[in-house]
Amino acid sequence: MHETALMQNLIATVLQVAEKHNAARVNRVVLSVGKLANVLPEALSFAFEALTQDGIMKGAELEIKHLPAVARCDSCGHEYQVDEWPLSCPACQSRSFVITGGEEVYLESIDCVEKSVHGEGSEG
Amino acid sequence: MTRVDIKRDLDALNKQIAAANRALFKSAGLYVINLMGSPGSGKTTLLENILPRLQDHVRTAVIEGDLATENDALRIRKTGVTALQINTNGGCHLDARMIENQLSRLDLAALDLLIIENVGNLVCPASFDLGEDLRMVLLSVPEGADKPVKYPTAFLNAQAVAITKTDLLPYLNVDLDEMKRYMAEINPKLVVFETALKGGVYEAERLVAYILEQVRQKKGK
Ligand SMILES: Nc1nc2c(ncn2[C@@H]2O[C@H](COP(=O)(O)OP(=O)(O)OP(=O)(O)O)[C@@H](O)[C@H]2O)c(=O)[nH]1
Ligand SMILES: [Mg+2]
Ligand SMILES: [Zn+2]
Repeated sequence: MHETALMQNLIATVLQVAEKHNAARVNRVVLSVGKLANVLPEALSFAFEALTQDGIMKGAELEIKHLPAVARCDSCGHEYQVDEWPLSCPACQSRSFVITGGEEVYLESIDCVEKSVHGEGSEG
Repeated sequence: MTRVDIKRDLDALNKQIAAANRALFKSAGLYVINLMGSPGSGKTTLLENILPRLQDHVRTAVIEGDLATENDALRIRKTGVTALQINTNGGCHLDARMIENQLSRLDLAALDLLIIENVGNLVCPASFDLGEDLRMVLLSVPEGADKPVKYPTAFLNAQAVAITKTDLLPYLNVDLDEMKRYMAEINPKLVVFETALKGGVYEAERLVAYILEQVRQKKGK
């Protein structure tokens, strides 16, 4: 439900990085979202589109990579991918676990076009 | 065109502030509970009823989180316990910064227990660490037995659950054992409590004893 706030945070970060790299445009943003992150990819894409109507991110593409949920067995330490509940360790069948992955939302990378030394390609 | 690798956790700032909150709570010897559950699951009712019993043994304060109004803080203050109200103005969860902003208004060293009632929502609050010691989810009987498997993240990240409104079991087609089974499927380590409002009395003895024990354990450290 907080996808718009998350996207605002993401875009602020992208703009900071873009400025540091002297970017004239940002063409692509890659984001990875864990299965347990409680954010809806469709809502993220929608918010991204709504928030990139102008400026150096205008028309930029958003790629969302999905990360699986991962659990670590309390009994034997084995890490395994979570597909359905209830969980049991594929190595020792223990039902006791901690979640070690799947809650993350990461800004992975951006593709940008740098301003030319002559000032062409900059926003004008 | 240049690819710039960033690899930045968008939750990093919240995690950082939550860690600072946790360190502050630790140095004050203050035990903190993050209470979450759907709108109307009975969070404020539980607090109204258990606060007087807790207050007999430990010095307690409450932070209330709601989209709007000061209603819940007013209800808590009637019990004589200090309550601060956060309004998120549409925000679906509390975050660590909102809690940090309230802490200067409390004398942490003069408290043993701080209970934070999160915004009524079984989804988003689960993704935001506030710096708490205990995350407790409330699930009321009328919400239905299968909610733990439909909203797994709330139950995955919690250590305790209170099943509220068990007084309504005779009137509803809800199987309490099935609800508990689903909870154990998602998180076998959950400590499960039951509460009920019966004949004007709010039954929550085990839960009150558990909280007092947790506060004592933290104080002892
Ligand atoms: N029968 C019964 N009703 C209850 C019980 N606990 C709460 N209620 C009722 O449930 C309704 C909602 O309770 P609240 O305590 O306001 O719920 P809440 O979780 O604080 O709600 P929000 O803060 O709005 O998310 C009220 O009308 C309560 O009287 C219970 O144990 N039994
Ligand atoms: Mg309430
Ligand atoms: Zn194992």
